[in-house]
Amino acid sequence: MFHIVALYTGVLLKGALKDVVLTVVSSILALILGALGAIGRIYGGPIVGGAIYWYVEIIRGLPAILQLFILYFGLSQFGIDLNPLSAAVIWLVAYGTGYAVEIFRAGIVDVAEGQHEAAKALGLSRFTTLRKVIIPQAFVSMMPNLTSFLVLQLKNTTMLYLIGYADIMYQARLGADATEQPGPLYLMVAVEYLVISAAIARIGSRVERRIAAYR
Amino acid sequence: MSNEVVVRVNNVTKRFGERVIFESVSLDVKKSEVVAIVGPSGAGKSTFIRCINHLHAFDGGSIEVLGHVLVGGTQPTRAELQQLNSKVGMVFQTFNLFPHLTVLDNIILAPMQVKKIARQDATDQAMNLLKMVGLQQKAQSFPKRLSGGEQQRVAICRALAMEPELMLFDEPTSMLDPELVGEVLEFIQRLAGGGMTMLLVTHEMMFAKDVADTVVIMADGGIAEKGPARQVLEAPRTERARSFLRRVLSPMAHDDRDLVANGGDET
Amino acid sequence: MPVFLKGVGITLELTAAALGIALILGFLLALARLSTIRPMVAIATTYIEVVRSIPVLVLLFLSYYSLGQVGLKLSGPVAATVSLGAFYATLYAEIFRGGILGVDRGQTEAARALGMGRRMTMVRVILPQAFFSILPNATNQLSNLIKDTSLVFTLGVADLMFQAQAASATTFQPMDMLLLAGMIYFAFYLILSKVLARWEINVQRSRS
Repeated sequence: MFHIVALYTGVLLKGALKDVVLTVVSSILALILGALGAIGRIYGGPIVGGAIYWYVEIIRGLPAILQLFILYFGLSQFGIDLNPLSAAVIWLVAYGTGYAVEIFRAGIVDVAEGQHEAAKALGLSRFTTLRKVIIPQAFVSMMPNLTSFLVLQLKNTTMLYLIGYADIMYQARLGADATEQPGPLYLMVAVEYLVISAAIARIGSRVERRIAAYR
Repeated sequence: MSNEVVVRVNNVTKRFGERVIFESVSLDVKKSEVVAIVGPSGAGKSTFIRCINHLHAFDGGSIEVLGHVLVGGTQPTRAELQQLNSKVGMVFQTFNLFPHLTVLDNIILAPMQVKKIARQDATDQAMNLLKMVGLQQKAQSFPKRLSGGEQQRVAICRALAMEPELMLFDEPTSMLDPELVGEVLEFIQRLAGGGMTMLLVTHEMMFAKDVADTVVIMADGGIAEKGPARQVLEAPRTERARSFLRRVLSPMAHDDRDLVANGGDET
Repeated sequence: MPVFLKGVGITLELTAAALGIALILGFLLALARLSTIRPMVAIATTYIEVVRSIPVLVLLFLSYYSLGQVGLKLSGPVAATVSLGAFYATLYAEIFRGGILGVDRGQTEAARALGMGRRMTMVRVILPQAFFSILPNATNQLSNLIKDTSLVFTLGVADLMFQAQAASATTFQPMDMLLLAGMIYFAFYLILSKVLARWEINVQRSRS
């Protein structure tokens, strides 16, 4: 068993690194789109707001794996053949955006009504109110959700081996087939996810404490 | 008090859906006049003063504030509202300080963003205001670290920093512990003495009697009585006003013949 | 189409079985975390923190392949049920704990002041009040559970996702097959998120 661990640690770590990079990049894009989406959802009127609402519902209503398969296998029916990497990025961004919209929306809506009133009574414009009063507070209240968002994105990368993306899960499967030792290999995968999730949670709570100093 | 009318409320009606909050309310406020609005809870007092700076839209009638005309059922432009709001200060029951900003940043935010005043000038002005209420050493504190009375005094400074021509107070002391009420009322009284025009929703009857020029009693969806403070509070003419005052001034008394005039001394 | 219906049946069976495990284990974990017995708190906390950090897919592989290697051979459906149940138990534990902690402390004090014991306070006073704050989160997780059952096709369990995959391969129309399955999943989601949510609001309103 130990020789398996020794043999595969490097390969699996390399796969994990790919997952982490993919998670970070796609999450940044998804968060930017999500913030815009939330503002559109709240202030965009019935058409823009409604379209974003249904986008979010569809993303949240379908299994993640199904969405990935629609992109990778489904589109090929129309001659659109995405390679695994671009399918992975599009999927993680599109999926993440759906969840990010909700996180930002809840954060914005959660800011107390009195804050809007006070800003309005001072004559602050809507943009200034959003920028100086609402978003800074929303950001703090959604920090815990942002942490779980990152963990969710990271966990979703486990499914990428199903479209042939050579990440940690893919390597583990190859190894399990080659060595007939699935036990330690999948355990190692679990441990790596555990460590990375814990790191994200740790960073998240530290950032939260820093920016929520006023509470 | 001059004869220049600063606020003219004309026949204003406000509904929430089907429910009428108040109907056909009219009221003039002159420059430097202090108007106290009292009345049972649920009478729409807070809603009423929120109509004056259009935090709430209203359904009928019109309100003229500092030269701006608001008409019931119509939506003023955003620019016009911002202009109006930058001239009308408001103080809330729940203070509504911005929790993520220090005391100083709370006060200078609007002058810098709305009036485009330089940070240094805004800071000087803010520090002067804070000195007036003895809170200059709290300038760098966050609101949560302050007592309720201190928060409310900062909130008043925040409103004053915009150099408003009219101040609206929505029950500024009802969230405060009893021993902190005095420091806030004292500040408001000083402002009144300085000639600030103000509308004040309050439950502090003694304060209304001492500081206000005019007292308005709102009840049952309208104004039950209005007039000079002492006269309204000591010798109300309408039955509705009498029954309200009887209940606030001597809450334990069930006897309807309880005398209002004497009641004032019992609080 | 009939194979799709069969797939739906298996998806629902799996969901029900995993939900059963998740609710019971989750409740026990919540009680353990709320207890005053140190080791129980530590065990429950560790279990929750560890298991919920592991992706469902990895849990599926661990229970199916890794346990198999050490002699504990589980069939696909059993491995799927156990791993989904074990994972969702951590989520339900946190929901239960939050709901119980969310009941005003004054309620416990009042019940204790009336001479009620710990157990009676929990059963008669706390849980009935916690129930309605727990319900929305619980249904929310249920709809996540249904979606996550779509991963069990990787163990060869013939659920809805499996059937969609299989049909894609035979018909060469993957998009049509996947969208068909998607509509079924989405219908479940809508039922849980809209219909149930409305019912919950009505129940809550009628009680307040």
